[in-house]
Amino acid sequence: MQATERERSVSYVPSPLLSVKEHVDDSESPESSSKGWKRWWAEWGITSFERDVLIFSTAIKVLLFPSYRSTDFEVHRNWLAITHSLPLSQWYLDTTSEWTLDYPPFFAYFEWLLSIPASFVDPKIVDLHNLNYGAWTVVAYQRSTVILTELLLALVLFRFIKGSVEPSTQRLISVSLFLHPGFLIVDHIHFQYNGFMFGILLWSLLMARNGDKLTCGLLFAVLLNFKHIYMYLAPAYFIYLLRSFCMSPQGKPLLPEFISLANTVILTFTVSLAPFALYGQLPQLFSRLFPFTRGLNHAYWAPNFWALVTALDRVLLRVVRLTGMDLSVKAEGVSSTSRGLVGDTLFAVLPDIKPIHTFAITVLIQAIFLVKLWRTPTYKSFITAVTLCGYTSFLFGWHVHEKAVLLILVPLSLIATENHAYFRTFVIASVSGIFGLFPLLFTPQETIIKLVYSGIWMVMTFEPLGRRIYEFPSSFPMVLLDRAEKIYLAGFPLLQLVVSCLPIISSIRSAPQPAADSIGHSGSSSMDFLPLMITSVYCAIGLCWAFVRLCTLYMYCHPR
Amino acid sequence: MDISPVDHLVVGPSQKSSKVRVTSRSSTGSARQSLSSVARLRRRQSGASIHSPTGSDTDQSEIFAPTPRRHALLQTGTLQWLNTPLSSRPSSPSPLNPNSPRPTSSLSFSSLMEEQHQLRKKESSAEEDVGAGRRWVRWMSKNGMRSYVTPCSILASIWIKWAIGAGGYSGRDSPPMFGDYEAQRHWMEITQHLPISKWYTYDLQYWGLDYPPLTAYHSWLCGLIGSRINPSWFSLDASRGIESPESKVFMRATVLISDLLVYIPAVTMFCNIWHKDRSRRTQHIALLSLLFHPSLILIDSGHFQYNSVMLGLALHAMNLFALGYDFIGAICFVFSLGFKQMALYYAPAIGAYLLGKCLWLRPPFGLNHFTSLAFFTTGAFLTLFLPFLPPFSSLLSTSIFDPISRVFPFNRGLFEDKVANFWCASDVVFKWRNMRWLGRTGLLRLSTLFTAIGFAPAVYALLMTAWNRRQSLRDPPKTTSAPSTLSVSSAPTISSSNSTAHPPSPKIKSVEIAPPAVLPKQPCATLPLLPYALFTSSMSFFLFSFQVHEKSILLPLMPLILLLSGSTSDSEVWEWGILVNNVSVFSMYPLLKKDGLGIQYVATTLLWNWLMGSPKRPKSLRHASLSFVQLLSLISYSTIILIHTLDLFTSPPARYPDLYTVLNVLISTSVFGLSWLWSIKRSMEVMWALGGFGSSKSSFAVGGASGGAGGAGHKKTGSSIGGKGVIVKAPTSPSRSSSTVSASASGSALGVNGRPSGLRANSRGDLIT
Repeated sequence: MQATERERSVSYVPSPLLSVKEHVDDSESPESSSKGWKRWWAEWGITSFERDVLIFSTAIKVLLFPSYRSTDFEVHRNWLAITHSLPLSQWYLDTTSEWTLDYPPFFAYFEWLLSIPASFVDPKIVDLHNLNYGAWTVVAYQRSTVILTELLLALVLFRFIKGSVEPSTQRLISVSLFLHPGFLIVDHIHFQYNGFMFGILLWSLLMARNGDKLTCGLLFAVLLNFKHIYMYLAPAYFIYLLRSFCMSPQGKPLLPEFISLANTVILTFTVSLAPFALYGQLPQLFSRLFPFTRGLNHAYWAPNFWALVTALDRVLLRVVRLTGMDLSVKAEGVSSTSRGLVGDTLFAVLPDIKPIHTFAITVLIQAIFLVKLWRTPTYKSFITAVTLCGYTSFLFGWHVHEKAVLLILVPLSLIATENHAYFRTFVIASVSGIFGLFPLLFTPQETIIKLVYSGIWMVMTFEPLGRRIYEFPSSFPMVLLDRAEKIYLAGFPLLQLVVSCLPIISSIRSAPQPAADSIGHSGSSSMDFLPLMITSVYCAIGLCWAFVRLCTLYMYCHPR
Repeated sequence: MDISPVDHLVVGPSQKSSKVRVTSRSSTGSARQSLSSVARLRRRQSGASIHSPTGSDTDQSEIFAPTPRRHALLQTGTLQWLNTPLSSRPSSPSPLNPNSPRPTSSLSFSSLMEEQHQLRKKESSAEEDVGAGRRWVRWMSKNGMRSYVTPCSILASIWIKWAIGAGGYSGRDSPPMFGDYEAQRHWMEITQHLPISKWYTYDLQYWGLDYPPLTAYHSWLCGLIGSRINPSWFSLDASRGIESPESKVFMRATVLISDLLVYIPAVTMFCNIWHKDRSRRTQHIALLSLLFHPSLILIDSGHFQYNSVMLGLALHAMNLFALGYDFIGAICFVFSLGFKQMALYYAPAIGAYLLGKCLWLRPPFGLNHFTSLAFFTTGAFLTLFLPFLPPFSSLLSTSIFDPISRVFPFNRGLFEDKVANFWCASDVVFKWRNMRWLGRTGLLRLSTLFTAIGFAPAVYALLMTAWNRRQSLRDPPKTTSAPSTLSVSSAPTISSSNSTAHPPSPKIKSVEIAPPAVLPKQPCATLPLLPYALFTSSMSFFLFSFQVHEKSILLPLMPLILLLSGSTSDSEVWEWGILVNNVSVFSMYPLLKKDGLGIQYVATTLLWNWLMGSPKRPKSLRHASLSFVQLLSLISYSTIILIHTLDLFTSPPARYPDLYTVLNVLISTSVFGLSWLWSIKRSMEVMWALGGFGSSKSSFAVGGASGGAGGAGHKKTGSSIGGKGVIVKAPTSPSRSSSTVSASASGSALGVNGRPSGLRANSRGDLIT
């Protein structure tokens, strides 16, 4: 509590200009007013601006109903069927479909709730054996559940505006988060429920900002029981709550607080896991949640550190072959292309990486930030540490999926306007992160959708934010750095051009062969993988650089 | 009441200042009250004119972010200076007025707070009446991103069109005939593989080509590119009914790119040309309203057609007319006709405009103009049909008649399916097709007659106005002195009835800068009438002509949305525009439902309405304050909602399976018919304001009345530009108050060239006074 107060009073020095803006914003907000029938939204504390955002976003998301959907759609449909038609004891045992339930229990309960209306909409949705059901009813139903549950995200983000030090800037950030291309791509096209779960995460962070740390911990525990990937962020939560909630600012342990927090967390996990523990299914459950049988990289390399290493290995292999150097080349590494196969990525030249290595690296790097967080347990520091924990796990984790980049981008947005250095980090990370998500949607129809939407989003987010906090680079190296970063960012359109042209070139090369098949089949396999690899490596460079930037900022220049 | 663009610019400052004054008062209750009283007062003052300024055509934001304006003397918004009582009107509400809130007895601190609260509520509710599009544009300029508005909105419209493209299309998965999508694809296929002479004759039973040659050339080009990418999409006969995702993406892309190349530039240019005297913000909002207009998006990107090319070409023609490039404009229009014969709906209005211009120019120029127009138009037609003409096609063959007989299918029925026009709606009662004694030719003649009667008023208005304006130009003294400058200005503003009363001033001659040869480069004085005429004529075609499709409602819609794009949300044009647009989307609902575009229909319609904002709500339904169009909107919206609800939850009774469709047709037809009548009334008003009814009497009346209202002894500067039907002119003495008069064009809702005319008129006014 005190820490938050201190943090607020120190970190914010309002400029006259900003306070004027704030005033204008307040005058616009109709919260203070009104019982008119046409202002129903005001009753919920939604300003007209936010209502505009909601209407706009709903309209565009509804338009995306018929677009491409990945197997995750069928996965979730199958979970609806499992939770609806099977007793609790069978949920984590069922193997009717290959898409078994592998999320924690709260998500299973959530699916069970969703399956009740589903059975009224169309009973076939919840039929366990009706695999790959793709009728309009199920599409409309599942897509609209995503939109509806995402309202939690919207409400939480709008709560962030109230009580923030710069409402107009926070409003921009909130809206940019709600309309984030990542959510659009992953949730509304690819199909997942990230918006809802990030809503819980942000709610928890909001509670931390407002000083209600017990709720903060509770919500995070709930979130962990929805989707265990948020464990990436758990170290920062643990240290922050321990230091700022369970200890006085002077470092004296406060036992009652500690006990209440511990009880809350234990209770949450009990509610979640107890039924399955009663059936004695915990080992089965955990084997579902943590399948350690996968490779270092996902089918498409997530743009992280290992993508760079793997690419380096490929380059070295070429070099070795060309120069005929006397290096031991592992045969199985040569054949391993890590393309679409769930298995180990084996290096040809470099030493192989084992899960324990990645784990050790992750923990070591995270420890540095945690020490820093322990010393300055403020809200801003906490958000940065959460971001960095997620970031470290994303960059160095084992078998990371590219969708996990949202774990970085979402909390990073909250501190984007700290100063221009943070903002630039945010821009680089967002652009490379979003671009790294593009390969999720590979059909030509969705290509235009994701490109145009992300373009508009970037303009509408970066322009107004950048104008507010622009700082001129102060020294010559900084000017160079600034220029280099701009060149890197300008490379993305070029990259998109290359990525879209490569398949066409390869199809023209293979044109002498019977050209009747479509583009996708005619390219040679190496050409097939090349665009993905280029994308992954280019985005990985940006994400790694943004990581370095953020580390430096946090360790040396964090506003106290 | 319609607020013309120029009048927005002109009358703006005075109202703004009054508004600022009013709202800045802390004594609250009267803010609205006195505003409306201002409006009422002003309406009375300019009572002679039909179009009175209303109180709130400015948006509040402009108070916070004023746009730079010309010097007050150059403004014609001097009206307020003349009406001194207006500003000194007591602002506190009369206690007798039941509408005004009761004044608080004592101004304690809390009551002061309460009043602030009330005031804020009023302000923010005023904020609510504005559409989201306006709010967004305002936000953008607040953040210094004004230059991003146009690219962002174009990108967003592309995004929406493409997203709709993910959905269904006409004839999806419905062998053996499929639908419009397959028709367009089939034409790409046959134009690829067949010689030109066979294009219009090949296997007519399976989607024979029935659009004019430009569509065929367009299909040929698209097919050429598509065959390069994947020949199997367009292989002859073998590709019938191909619906692979790749080919679908390609087909959607051809629509989007054609749209991007033709329609979007036309729309952008329209906002710059026709609204060039308006603020940048208004131009942006106009652009938004045109880009996101749901009917066109749904039909082109959803149902699958290339209407935007035809409409875009017609719009290009309008833009070029406004710039004075009549010949290129005419060629554009011929191309539009050559793309889809439906552009014929516009032909009477366009033809009358061009003919009117020939009349408007004095005989030698007019005749020249006419000859050149005839030459260019015929040339363009011949070019389009060149491959079907003798040197290229086999001699004496009928190949030229193939396209023509395909394009005009007179041997089909009076109407197909259910379309919201007069014939289909009255078929419920009259059963036209059962009237054997009338026969098909009888019906054809009847429909042609009705159509001609339908568009006659538009043609009459254009021609008569041009003729009358031309007469005033013919007056010898005018051609030498002041009026020649007026003719150069070409604005729909000024017509002197008695210019001999002017002492010929030497300075005036120096103003006479325009050699007569420049005249044809100016748009005709009837230009403000053009959108109305286009609407009247195309709506009459839609309602009364033979073989109309429900998609043809797009043609009347375009001019209406052009009109709507420049008007403010409390004008009559705006309300009609919104209503007709919504009803037209609704009228296409059965079609869209069949294509599987129901959800897109809902989303885009709501999106557009939300962008445009809700109309001003009537204070109460009992108040009798409803205007006719508001009443009509209320009735039609409630019926539409009712029908949708019924359609969603119940199926129609077995005896009348088409019940909902028929109801749809009846509602839509009545709204369309009324809007057609309204447009005639409107064009008459505009025509009158332009001095189209013969100048002397009417303009005398306007001048006299307005002069009287203003107070004859007052010295007034400037003249009204385009807007408002307000006055003008500077009588130096009461005795001459009626000597020089300018009837301003209230109807110039799209006040073209308002500024130059205003400036010139001003210079003249200054000189005279």
